[in-house]
Amino acid sequence: MKSTYLVALAMSVSMCVGGLAHGADVAADAATDADKAALRKLVDATCGTCHGANGRSVSPTFPNLAAQQAPYIELQLKAFKDQSRADPDAQAYMWGMAAQLSDAKISALAGYFAAQPAPPGRGGNSALVAQGKHVFEEGVPARQIPPCASCHGAHAEGMATFPRLAGQHAPYLLKQLLVIQSVLRTAPVMHGVIKDLTRDQMQAVVAYLESI
Amino acid sequence: MTRMRQLWSFRRILPWLGLGLCVSLTTPAWAVPSFARQTGMACAACHTVFPELTPFGREFKLNGYVLDNIKQVTGIDISAHETLALNSIPPISLMAQISYTRTRTALPDSTIGGAAAKDGDLLFPQQVSFFYAGKVADGLGAFIQLTYDGVGDSFGFDNTDIRYAHHLSFGGSNDNTHSVIVGVTLNNNPTVQDVWNTTPAWGVPYSGSSIAPGAITSAKIDSGAGGFGQNVGGLGVYVWLDDHFYAEITDYTSAIRGGAHPLDSTQSNVVSGSAPYWRLAYEQRWDRNSLSVGAFGLNAGLHPGLQGTTNTALAGVTDKFRDTAADVQYQFIGENHLATAMATYISERQTLDASVLDGFAANVHNNLKTLKLTGEYYYQRKIGGTVGYFSTTGSSDTLLYPAAPVAGSANNGPDTNGYLLEVNYLPWLNTKLQAQYVGYQKFNGQKTNYDGSGRNASDNNTMYLLVWLNF
Repeated sequence: MKSTYLVALAMSVSMCVGGLAHGADVAADAATDADKAALRKLVDATCGTCHGANGRSVSPTFPNLAAQQAPYIELQLKAFKDQSRADPDAQAYMWGMAAQLSDAKISALAGYFAAQPAPPGRGGNSALVAQGKHVFEEGVPARQIPPCASCHGAHAEGMATFPRLAGQHAPYLLKQLLVIQSVLRTAPVMHGVIKDLTRDQMQAVVAYLESI
Repeated sequence: MTRMRQLWSFRRILPWLGLGLCVSLTTPAWAVPSFARQTGMACAACHTVFPELTPFGREFKLNGYVLDNIKQVTGIDISAHETLALNSIPPISLMAQISYTRTRTALPDSTIGGAAAKDGDLLFPQQVSFFYAGKVADGLGAFIQLTYDGVGDSFGFDNTDIRYAHHLSFGGSNDNTHSVIVGVTLNNNPTVQDVWNTTPAWGVPYSGSSIAPGAITSAKIDSGAGGFGQNVGGLGVYVWLDDHFYAEITDYTSAIRGGAHPLDSTQSNVVSGSAPYWRLAYEQRWDRNSLSVGAFGLNAGLHPGLQGTTNTALAGVTDKFRDTAADVQYQFIGENHLATAMATYISERQTLDASVLDGFAANVHNNLKTLKLTGEYYYQRKIGGTVGYFSTTGSSDTLLYPAAPVAGSANNGPDTNGYLLEVNYLPWLNTKLQAQYVGYQKFNGQKTNYDGSGRNASDNNTMYLLVWLNF
């Protein structure tokens, strides 16, 4: 009798705990689904409007985000939010966009776009592309400019907070080089690296990067 | 037609021609810093140069004006459903227009025969508008404009577009996913809900003189404040598929402010039943370019009601207007150079059973054809200009288009055409200094002595200077 009671008690406790655990799982799933739905809505109705829902933008004013390094996206969104990235387009578009993003949302967005398939390269002027490839891989020793590949990766795939550059819109990349060089956009490592990069060299390297 | 009847018609219509003179060129104008306040984005995100929309601006509007990046006052119910999402700062803004108009030849004095009015007129202001423009709740947004009109010295309800939009995705993996916005619009001016600048409510010129002579007629859908604008209310649905296809149908009926309510024979041009408006468009975007091709139209049956001093009952046969239009818009939005080309063609077929019966029109069947061509260029959104051509041709009608000084037509024809030149300087994105010149090759039917009182079309050529502030 006593053992029956104990078994019943154990079963009850087990069911109860199991139920609670199940309930917790359901709640977690629901939260996950709700988060996923909220993320999807944010991507479709907000980010995707300029950057494309799949992270591939139409206008070169807006960068592709597909396959971008997640830590880089996070860093940039936080820099927009605290207004430490202050180039003209950052102010015009992204300061507002990032103002109300929580750290969790920033992290989720970074993960979402990083997981999208990379944009394909688009071929350009072959001579310019070849010149750009040389700058990217070898740097410009005469001007003490190191190879871009040393931080951005051999295939310009990026690494952590060093952004992916492959397949990016050339006009966007050129604009970033210019605003970094003029210190409208703060990027401490890059300021030193590209201070003597010429406009022609910039145009060559961005043509190469867009093509791969 | 007897001479008595001609005079009778003329006397009845003249005051309305005068009114038409005042309002026909009044182009509603909007640009709304409250959207910038709500989104935290500069004007340049949504506008090439206000009020013309960029592709992003079109998306913002189609999404219901709800994109917000400011702190929200929120509420939820016991099931955690959102019951309130209110901007902590109300999206309110102000617009002011101060203008100076001078016609090539002074207009006649309104009272003393043979005398001329002062040549050159300063309107301080031409118009001041208050806006609530932004999010109301999740998915629900409003654009509501209240305007003080410097010519009428009156304050009234202006353009309004309240819309709800819902975003859906369907389909398979990323590349096969379809995106669709389904929306509902409640508005008071056909095409005020549109997102391209080739439709009349947002068309060129974005601002024009409110006192220079205006053409004797225009298609119903193109008549703005002199026609359906703010005199109707419509409920419509739209879809925007994959950022390419747009389709909308909105049904309008009369919503005239002031005067007799319920509407009766003392009101003018009252919609019989409802007037459906439709819109189809396709947009393609590539690189920094966007190209849209579309069509739109409106079918309306109207009771003439009060015309001049004659009241007619809102019953029996009606005047029917069938407007059909095609439009094309191309935009290039570069870092330094911005260019837009636009074309709109509107064909209106009128069947004026009621007006003929009541003696307001001579012909049962009339038509109007309107063409507008516009090219714009801006450098760095700071300085630029517009070149435009406009033309209206149509059938003559001795009663609809009678001879009268300045506003009338000696040959009873509506044909008007000319050109528009505009230079704009924007020291800031929300401030426009404008010099505009409108030149007429033909006005109300003819080039010379078009009104039968010796006035030539070119006498109405208009220089218009404008200071336009939004804040």
